[in-house]
Amino acid sequence: MKQLLILSGKGGTGKTTIASSFIELSKAKAFADCDVEAPNLHLVMNTNTKTSTPYYGMGKAIIDQSKCIKCGLCKESCRFGAIDFSDKYEINLFKCEGCSVCEFVCPENAIEMASYKDGETTIYRDNYIFSTAELNMGSGNSGKLVMKVKENLKDNLTDEPLAIIDGSPGIGCPVIASLSGVDMVLIVTEPSVSGMSDMIRIIKTAEHFRVKIAVCINKYDTNISQKQKIEKYLIDRKIELIGKIVYDKNISKILNEGKTAVSVDSEASRSIKNIYSRAIEILNS
Amino acid sequence: MQIAILSGKGGTGKTLLSVNLSYLAENGTYVDCDVEEPNGLLYYQLENKKTEEVSIKIPVVNHDLCNGCEKCTDFCKFNALAFILDKVRVFKDLCHSCGGCKLVCPTNAISEIDKTVGYIHSGKIFDTNIYSGEMIVGLESGIPIIDELLNQVKNSSRNVFIDSPPGNGCSVMESIRDSNYCLLIAEPTIFGLHNLNMVYNLVKVFNKKVGIVINKASENSIIEDYALENNVNIIGRIPMDLELGRINSEGKIVASYDEYKPLFTDILTNIYKELNL
Amino acid sequence: MIIALPTTTSGEKSFISEHFGRSNFFYIYNTETKTGEVYVNANKDGQGGVGVKSVEFILKHGTNILITPRVGEKAMNLLSETDVKIYTNTDEIVKENIASFLNGELKEL
Repeated sequence: MKQLLILSGKGGTGKTTIASSFIELSKAKAFADCDVEAPNLHLVMNTNTKTSTPYYGMGKAIIDQSKCIKCGLCKESCRFGAIDFSDKYEINLFKCEGCSVCEFVCPENAIEMASYKDGETTIYRDNYIFSTAELNMGSGNSGKLVMKVKENLKDNLTDEPLAIIDGSPGIGCPVIASLSGVDMVLIVTEPSVSGMSDMIRIIKTAEHFRVKIAVCINKYDTNISQKQKIEKYLIDRKIELIGKIVYDKNISKILNEGKTAVSVDSEASRSIKNIYSRAIEILNS
Repeated sequence: MQIAILSGKGGTGKTLLSVNLSYLAENGTYVDCDVEEPNGLLYYQLENKKTEEVSIKIPVVNHDLCNGCEKCTDFCKFNALAFILDKVRVFKDLCHSCGGCKLVCPTNAISEIDKTVGYIHSGKIFDTNIYSGEMIVGLESGIPIIDELLNQVKNSSRNVFIDSPPGNGCSVMESIRDSNYCLLIAEPTIFGLHNLNMVYNLVKVFNKKVGIVINKASENSIIEDYALENNVNIIGRIPMDLELGRINSEGKIVASYDEYKPLFTDILTNIYKELNL
Repeated sequence: MIIALPTTTSGEKSFISEHFGRSNFFYIYNTETKTGEVYVNANKDGQGGVGVKSVEFILKHGTNILITPRVGEKAMNLLSETDVKIYTNTDEIVKENIASFLNGELKEL
């Protein structure tokens, strides 16, 4: 199975718009949303047959107050500031990273590590498999949850030629986890100083993984001079720009109706179709 | 006073809002906590910026003292240590700097050294103090950098505006740690609403005062309806304006243009009202 | 000679796992005794460093040959320091790959 991952670095450039269009165009039977902190793809996928499974991340510390002698060694040893003290010592679950140093230093064995629900993975089944997940607020471990999303996709498939994966913003652990094992990355950027700066950072991150990289510029006509700067950068770096999409205010209306950008004909939707064809060519080359 | 600007979804205008508010505010300070993709300095181009390194402690093993008991490799929950070819190896990119390996080593073979994970750039321009964090590309967590950023402005008497990272993960929690007020910015789309709801639930857990700014405001009232339902005030509306978008995309401060200044001044006034200032 | 393979289920008829570090099991085959053993991959749910821990694991079992579709960057760097040779699988089933390897039909990664 070939995996195409859609990333942007900067949020809000149109990753999910492109991903949902690609899913419609390819008639792909396999797709995933790896933006576990803010999953959105399910909002435009009209389906309701789903199974959700709780997701347990790293264990977190629990203090047995009946054994605690209030020596404070745990608080002193915790590098994450995850132990609060008012009248008793308590674990701040949002800060605890599960290292178990406190469990080790406690002279009374009053602390143990307990499994902790960090979120939920969901699989939608229709005539396709759609794997997604949502992280509980403030939880860490999003990288591992992303791996789980990809695993779920694979475990529920037999012989699919193509999987389309909607990535998450940023360049940190969830993005790195979503990059592992993919064949190609399509970066969606926009013509702004921040769009370009973030694109450069995500290209550097993706290059560590030696995957095929292509870029498309969304809303390219909103700032022509920035668009040209991006084009020049890509030429210098020998990265293929596989398309540009005009700004079309109707697209957000179409998405609000739960439809994909390519479901209604327009200049923008034709551009997305061309980008799709070229992406698939590169993926299979 | 500290105001955190948040949005569940990326690209909704967090940086736009925090840059422009900190520019207009008297004694304003801008703090870029989106350390994975910091963009604040594209707007605030500092001429004399100071750059400090942020580092964490990572272990080094003295192989002469190591007796190969593997207590450290067993202890490490992050798989940052492994016993390979009769030696303990440290994988520094995986290390969370908990210090556990050093504690469990019976022969004192482990000591700690600094590893740079990012930078804090700071300076002053147009009477605004600027702090911007940057994570080194390829690393996984920006938390130590956000921590250090917040420590630098912790006791500030200025009006501090925090540009938070997107999402609702651990780095967002960290960035609202000391804030007095959370300003949520959302676009009136189904994606925008979904993510607004997410981040609203987060700030509620921390009992933070909260208000909403609608970006690219349109006739679609889903955000207004949501605000009404949850009893949150709408602090401002930034209209869908191609020219505003173009100015911003050039890295220019929109509020420095006369025609857009009132838009942001109003938002600022409304925030101060909410905080009874 | 010891051959290690990451697998999705247990036994010689199992599928090869796509992820070396996050495979459910390891199948460790001894060409002299012609027997294989199944081990649960205890590290597979780690947040990171699962490849590294898997290298540690197969080395402890005296592995000479690793048959896997791919190896992550950290694990790869580590393996290149050892005498372990890595081969790419041609089939999805464990047993077939061991046979292919012994017939000299697999390519080194």
